[in-house]
Amino acid sequence: MKRLREFAYFEPADLDDAVEILSGAGQGGRALAGGTDLVVDMKTGRMRPTTVVNLKRIPGLEGVQPADGGSRIGALTKVAAIESSSLVRDGHRALAKAAGVLASPPVRGMATLGGNIGRASPASDLAPPLIVHRAVATIESRNGPRDEPVEGLFTGPGATTLATGDIITSIFLPDSPPRFGSAHLKIGTRGSGTDIAMVGVSAGVILDAAGGIVDARIVLASVAPTPMRALKAEQVLAGLAPSDEVLEAAAETAAGECQPITDLRASASHRVALVRVLTRRALIEAVDTARSGEAA
Amino acid sequence: MTTHVGRRVPRVDAREKVTGTAVYGVDVRLPGMLHGATLRSPYPHARIISIDTKAAAAAPGVEVIVTGRGFPFIFGSAIKDQPFLAIDRVRYVGEPVVAIAARTEAQAQEAVDLLKVEYEVLPAVLDPLQALEVDAPLVHPDMHTYDRGPHEIVPNTNINTLWTFERGDVQAGFAAADLVVEDEFTAHALSHAALEPHVAVARYEAATGAYTVWVSTDRPFQLRGELTAALGIPSDKMRLIVANVGGSFGGKNTLIAESIAVALARYAGGAPVRVEFSREDDLVATQTRVPAIMKIKTGVTNDGILTARSADILWDSGAYTSNTVGVAIRGSSTIFGPYRIPDLALVARQVYTNRAITGSYRGYGTTQVTWACESQMDMIAARLEIDPVAFRIRNAYEEGDSYINEQIMHGVGLRESLERTSDEIGWGDVDRRPAPHLRRGKGIATMIKPTATPTSSNCVIKVEDDGRVSVLVAAPEIGSGQATVLAQMAADAVGVPIESVVIPPTDTAFSPFNGPVASSRTTYHVGNAIRMAGGDVREKILATAAEVLGFEPEILELVDGKIVVEGESVTTVAGLLGGFGFEGHSVTAEARFTTRGSPLLKAPPPYDWMSSIFWMFATHAVELEVDTETGVVRIIKVAAAQDVGRAINPMTCEQQIEGGVVMGISNALFEEFKGSGGRIENGSFAEYKLAAMPDLPEIIPIIVESDHSEAPFGAKGVGEPAAAATPPAIANALYDAVGIRITDLPLTAEKVLEAIAEAAARDGE
Amino acid sequence: MIELLLTVNGTPRTIEVEVRTTLLEVLREGLLLTGTKEACGVGECGSCMILLDGEPMPSCLVLAADADRCNVETVEGLASDGVLDEIQRAFVDTGAFQCGFCTPGMLVAAKALLRDHPDATPGEIKQGLSGVLCRCGSYTKIMKAFEVLTGRKT
Repeated sequence: MKRLREFAYFEPADLDDAVEILSGAGQGGRALAGGTDLVVDMKTGRMRPTTVVNLKRIPGLEGVQPADGGSRIGALTKVAAIESSSLVRDGHRALAKAAGVLASPPVRGMATLGGNIGRASPASDLAPPLIVHRAVATIESRNGPRDEPVEGLFTGPGATTLATGDIITSIFLPDSPPRFGSAHLKIGTRGSGTDIAMVGVSAGVILDAAGGIVDARIVLASVAPTPMRALKAEQVLAGLAPSDEVLEAAAETAAGECQPITDLRASASHRVALVRVLTRRALIEAVDTARSGEAA
Repeated sequence: MTTHVGRRVPRVDAREKVTGTAVYGVDVRLPGMLHGATLRSPYPHARIISIDTKAAAAAPGVEVIVTGRGFPFIFGSAIKDQPFLAIDRVRYVGEPVVAIAARTEAQAQEAVDLLKVEYEVLPAVLDPLQALEVDAPLVHPDMHTYDRGPHEIVPNTNINTLWTFERGDVQAGFAAADLVVEDEFTAHALSHAALEPHVAVARYEAATGAYTVWVSTDRPFQLRGELTAALGIPSDKMRLIVANVGGSFGGKNTLIAESIAVALARYAGGAPVRVEFSREDDLVATQTRVPAIMKIKTGVTNDGILTARSADILWDSGAYTSNTVGVAIRGSSTIFGPYRIPDLALVARQVYTNRAITGSYRGYGTTQVTWACESQMDMIAARLEIDPVAFRIRNAYEEGDSYINEQIMHGVGLRESLERTSDEIGWGDVDRRPAPHLRRGKGIATMIKPTATPTSSNCVIKVEDDGRVSVLVAAPEIGSGQATVLAQMAADAVGVPIESVVIPPTDTAFSPFNGPVASSRTTYHVGNAIRMAGGDVREKILATAAEVLGFEPEILELVDGKIVVEGESVTTVAGLLGGFGFEGHSVTAEARFTTRGSPLLKAPPPYDWMSSIFWMFATHAVELEVDTETGVVRIIKVAAAQDVGRAINPMTCEQQIEGGVVMGISNALFEEFKGSGGRIENGSFAEYKLAAMPDLPEIIPIIVESDHSEAPFGAKGVGEPAAAATPPAIANALYDAVGIRITDLPLTAEKVLEAIAEAAARDGE
Repeated sequence: MIELLLTVNGTPRTIEVEVRTTLLEVLREGLLLTGTKEACGVGECGSCMILLDGEPMPSCLVLAADADRCNVETVEGLASDGVLDEIQRAFVDTGAFQCGFCTPGMLVAAKALLRDHPDATPGEIKQGLSGVLCRCGSYTKIMKAFEVLTGRKT
């Protein structure tokens, strides 16, 4: 079996220590949360950290709690817990759905929200719905805590705005407005739907009392170096009634504005075709849930 | 009287497997054991200029470093073409170049990073068509000087196997046809992906020059033969011991981890050396299914009678031949399918390329040719507007028909398999459009498979004085249930309860010879040897009983471990033999079964060698659903019939059939190696996807029982045909659902969606 | 080196390991509990599934240090005093394995699934066990085993 190379290992009991150790470790430092990405990368040699800082002994980083104007999800909250949390499911359907199709149940029982964000995979399952839900990350650093919208965190495959020593501690999920609906869809190699995304689409819409679209968000996975908002497609929807034609036009626009690459999992043209289908389907689902009156 | 055969006896290996106590190759641990790691070639074709081992040798824990020059032996079954470690030249990405043994596996892996090898990159042959070009680089320029078997090669080319076959006058056959179609199909490389990775532990005793190797293989005697032939040592200096095998599917049949472990052990000062492949190495650097490009031309009359078929097949062995020569020869001949076709012609070539080694894969070439044959059968049926099932039945072999070499076929349950699968799937009745973006369809495919003939199996049965019956056979349990089925047959052959039968692990030092656990031959061949030896041992026990108890031998019976006289039990085997006390009384018998000389094999030369002692037939019918917007295919139901002769254990037969369907779905829809420049880039189960539970359709296994006069208790084989018919049945169902025809495997969602778009564009014109 | 305290199948075990050791390595090599297998090393196949404080996890991705003071259950802990538990019995009776290499992981995942969903539907069974691959394709028979266990037709 592939063996891990040697590294220094720390289990700090508080956040300041963790920031301190990671800052001191520089480029060779890595925070360990669920381990489902980090340990794999260490085995394959994609990453050879000299220092691993296990965050799991730090109290207060796990769990979903009601907060002022929304919910706060600790960075170490397991994906499985997000999938089943009523605070998430009520009002943040796209995130709950995405959590439910991230790998297999045992991996969901290990993988964490913060790890998924910090890993900054272009194929991330959780980043698109978080952006749809306008989530904000709280980040601890040597200079104290700061808040950053999740949307602004990603700068490239595996790259974020986080500096050495920065640790995502929680994600704030604002309450969804009335007549909001959202959905998340993805397709992988197998039809069964929990594989790494060839394409993932999260969509959220806010309707007005008459049923027109006040605001829409469409975020795509696996079609750009980072999770990508389909801004032009969102504009297509603004102010219009969500007819089949309008949703299809938005889907077509999303397909037009993404510029995916061909890689091992799919060709660029197939990805474009999937963006169109999944965007339309996700919008239909989002509109249906918004209309259903449940906060979803 | 039979009491165990035919019943759903729980598997004899069940308890050890559900408690985690079953010992597999990966579980073998010995005192003082060293651990191996391997540096592999990063290039598809290169000359090794220099190897610098200095830094690695100084690394902590390192005990042995060996290179191809340090252990310069060559192995191979049909062609001796493969070094234990690359000698002067590497021929594929992943070829072992240097092996290191260290005290821990981590130390060995770290030391490998310190090795420095300088290469001169050579032009590479990256696909089989390029291999045929006149100015193509030669992967083995000296091929014609290698030791090899009698098959034909083409010297000074990359063609390592050439095989042609003709029957009748194929041009006349095409002339007699109303319709002649010609198509090209490709079948892709696949990983066997047995969950237990390749592993071996080897030990060398300098004093005696003897090796002991703990291996995970389906053919200990054949591997021993390859090793002793390569090293030039007698058979007693190479002892192979096999524990449980965690899946093989044809993949664990050549020297893979074994060659590296043996090379390291030679210099390890008597310490055992363990070599286990990581999954990445297992996927990219062991062996794969042999990819094939198949041109097939078929003539047919308007009423659906096949008149002629010619085929031109190009197989890609990769850098070394492994077991592919047999695949290219035996596998090719089944492209004619299970059909009566008077006029035939075949040209099969296999070429070396600078790609990963390929080898036998469950079905020994039949999965590839069945893909071509059965896809084309449906294309013809569509052209003629006749029903695909009726078309097949019209041409299908029946009992007593002549095979392509004029062998009279015996034990042919093909028609029944076609009829019962089409009944079960509800042929002709489809809910075509359950939703606006969904289409459903049904498809069928059938196949024929011979077994390796002639081969032999030996068996020794040992009855101890407590009534325990040891059946010594070299038939490692690779998962297909052979231990259970052999124990059932042994229990009935001797006349004892199955609980008293033990099948010890295979050890070439003690087990009698057997051919490989391959070609679905075990039940038939080993079963016959067991039947013979079992009857013999029973007679000996009864003779002893007659002598001890003073009865005439003729009136004694051995039933369920009891000596019975006129329906009354007078003693037990344990009572009888145990009665000898300290003097002791163990009863043994042995038998050798070979198929050579069977009247069933009669056929005129020169093609008499193509006769098979039994023929296997399988038909799969598939119902599926296509998402026309994404191309995603969902298999709803598969009815899978297989002619097994007679089911010794219906449960283990179902396991093989159901498992074969799952493998077929996985092969057809998901599995594919990806990469470029001869490099496989998806060497992980994260990117090389196998079917999982959510992909499981409803599977209806159908056991067809034909009579076979020479089979043990009537049983033929079951393991291989199970996976071959599913992929073409899926392709045919796709055509039924959405009118698309994909001729190159796999049937990925991407290809399906493209084909749907093309079909729509065509229809729009 | 670090010292770990693990409770493995109910028995407290103290073991010294390098920090780079995974829980799977501790089980197979340190404690000689070789029932737990490795087939992929990256959490995709489930052959190394164990219960860590009751939750199924691929032990190849768990750093041993991270499991300090945890409860670990492996396939070896399913039977008690040589008596098979109901899941093991159902797998034996229905023939829900072939080569058996994935079986330890499959049984452990099945145990967690059945505990959380004693009345699991076919869809829940398939999703619940989706993290364990069986190349022999024993899935149909595994569904049969669950028919026995849940008393529900799959």
